[in-house]
Amino acid sequence: MLIGVSIIVFALIQFVPGDPVRLALGTRFSQETYDALLERSGLDQPVLQQYFTWSGRALTGDLGVSFRSGEPVTALILERLPATLTLALAAILVALLIAVPLGTLSALRPRSLVDRGATVLSQIGISVPDFWMGIVFILVFAGTLGWLPSGGYVPLTEDPWGWLQRLIMPAIVTGVVSGSVITRFVRSSVLEALGQDHVRTAQAKGLPARQVLSWHVLRNALLPLVTVTGVQLAYLLSGVVVVEIVFAWPGLGQLALQAVQARDYPVLQGAVLLFALVFLLVNLVVDLLYSRLDPRIARR
Amino acid sequence: MTVTAPLLEVEDLHVRLRTPRGTASVVNGLSYTVGAGETVAVVGESGSGKSVSVLALLGLLPAGVATVTGRALLDGEDLLAMPADRLRQLRGPGVGMVFQDPMTSLNPVLTVGRQLVEGIRAHVDVPKAVARRRAVELLGEVGLPGPEKAVDRYPHELSGGMRQRVMIAIALSNSPALLIADEATTALDVTVQAQIIDLVQRLQADHGTGVVWITHDLGVVAGIADRVLVMYGGRCVEDGTVDDVLERPAHPYTRGLLGALPDLAVARADGGLPDLATVPGTPPAPTDLPAGCVFWPRCPVRADPRCETEQPPLAHVRGQSRDFGPSLAHRAATWCAEDGGAPGTTEEDR
Repeated sequence: MLIGVSIIVFALIQFVPGDPVRLALGTRFSQETYDALLERSGLDQPVLQQYFTWSGRALTGDLGVSFRSGEPVTALILERLPATLTLALAAILVALLIAVPLGTLSALRPRSLVDRGATVLSQIGISVPDFWMGIVFILVFAGTLGWLPSGGYVPLTEDPWGWLQRLIMPAIVTGVVSGSVITRFVRSSVLEALGQDHVRTAQAKGLPARQVLSWHVLRNALLPLVTVTGVQLAYLLSGVVVVEIVFAWPGLGQLALQAVQARDYPVLQGAVLLFALVFLLVNLVVDLLYSRLDPRIARR
Repeated sequence: MTVTAPLLEVEDLHVRLRTPRGTASVVNGLSYTVGAGETVAVVGESGSGKSVSVLALLGLLPAGVATVTGRALLDGEDLLAMPADRLRQLRGPGVGMVFQDPMTSLNPVLTVGRQLVEGIRAHVDVPKAVARRRAVELLGEVGLPGPEKAVDRYPHELSGGMRQRVMIAIALSNSPALLIADEATTALDVTVQAQIIDLVQRLQADHGTGVVWITHDLGVVAGIADRVLVMYGGRCVEDGTVDDVLERPAHPYTRGLLGALPDLAVARADGGLPDLATVPGTPPAPTDLPAGCVFWPRCPVRADPRCETEQPPLAHVRGQSRDFGPSLAHRAATWCAEDGGAPGTTEEDR
């Protein structure tokens, strides 16, 4: 799977127009420096050989050196990883805090005011562009009200309060988008769980309504929720490019975008490979969780 | 069967459901009683309102969709008028319920033991360990092999028959005064069905539980019931003792149902299978019930001018006297009780 991704990534980048060496050198350079850089970067080799050299090194954790800055790609990525992890986890937390109560409430009272309100809100959340929401947030909370800094990132270890202040807005903006998607899922899976025969059994046993809801409805609705949350998390981990740029958040999405603009192949390849790896990992975790949550899968 | 105050007394039960195609009158003025230790079978085809009529008693129909009116006295307390919390207390110890499909009626992600324990602890404040011991006992009582192990199993690890035993154990876990079995054996194969029926009868004899057995299987009815209530179009069209209704059916619909039973003795004598008799047509849509007798559009008799216009009351079948008391009365709601020569409506009745 990962090998397939690596081939596709490699091939796609070969098709990107533009000469990375020319871009790296700027506007004025001699043929000698051009040839020297071409040779040093290995771009004069046949494509197939480039691939095997690259993928062989990638296996050992060496993703090459950035054309632009000359730094090792692995180091560049590792440097960005904490920021992305922080934002993704915070956003998914926001998303779940919105989605679970809202989705459950609307499923419990279908077609009620709450349900309609939730539908409208989540439609807005899905359709409003996140960069626009980000800009509005900055204008209101950083500009007019001046409550929060407009962007940037400081590590938690250095300045916990500053870390939190800078995290709030991007986390909410990305969380609202993911949360809107998840709300729809929660609503439909709770609605489905509610209609199941065993919920009626639980009621017929005389269980208190809260117990029926928690152990018989929500416990079963949890299974599809885990899947969709996993997909959203993987998406967030591969960097929410636009939000990262709006909030000057030094994450992986930003790194990848800069790499594209600079035709910085090694960085771009490394980043995409990492996204694929993250996706696989999250799916693996989801599968493991699933077998923990659903005894029907665990025993197979 | 002595005539004492009945355990359950349902009076003039109406259930209306809001559907996309309009209001459906699913149950229309149903009245019946169940005594302690008595088994009443409710029969009728799909869509006749059998299940809805019992789900309505326990408030298990979706709120906001169903409107339930009438009275349903359980030991003198009206189930339909009581506050939700009191009704919750009665679900379990008052009325235990077994549902049709054992494959879907248990929570797939909780162990059998947990599902039993939570039912017990919802009504009696006992430590988990005590409830668990009781759960093991119950599973043994309903004939689950190796109850100590079975208690930690998940539903998908058990067969359909075993799951239905678990359902019965759950229904019985709070020693209900009344057990309602809603098509409890329909999804099971015949041998398992016989075992389940046996089990319920034994438990009934031990505990004196009243039983409402909902089914469309007349063979089951003959085997277990004291009295039979035949439902059609949300109404009771005939009720009486199992002998009266099965041997001397008065309503054309009951006669049609009984006539639709294949007779294997005849088949063997002829060397081939006879055509199956059917009741032609389909039950009326509950959104659009006919005026007059609910059965008349499908009725082969239609001997009375009132059939199409006037709804027949549930009246005592001729040859019956009111003196028998409610548990022996034989009643039918039809204008055509005497026509068509029902088998055996002759001398012995008089």
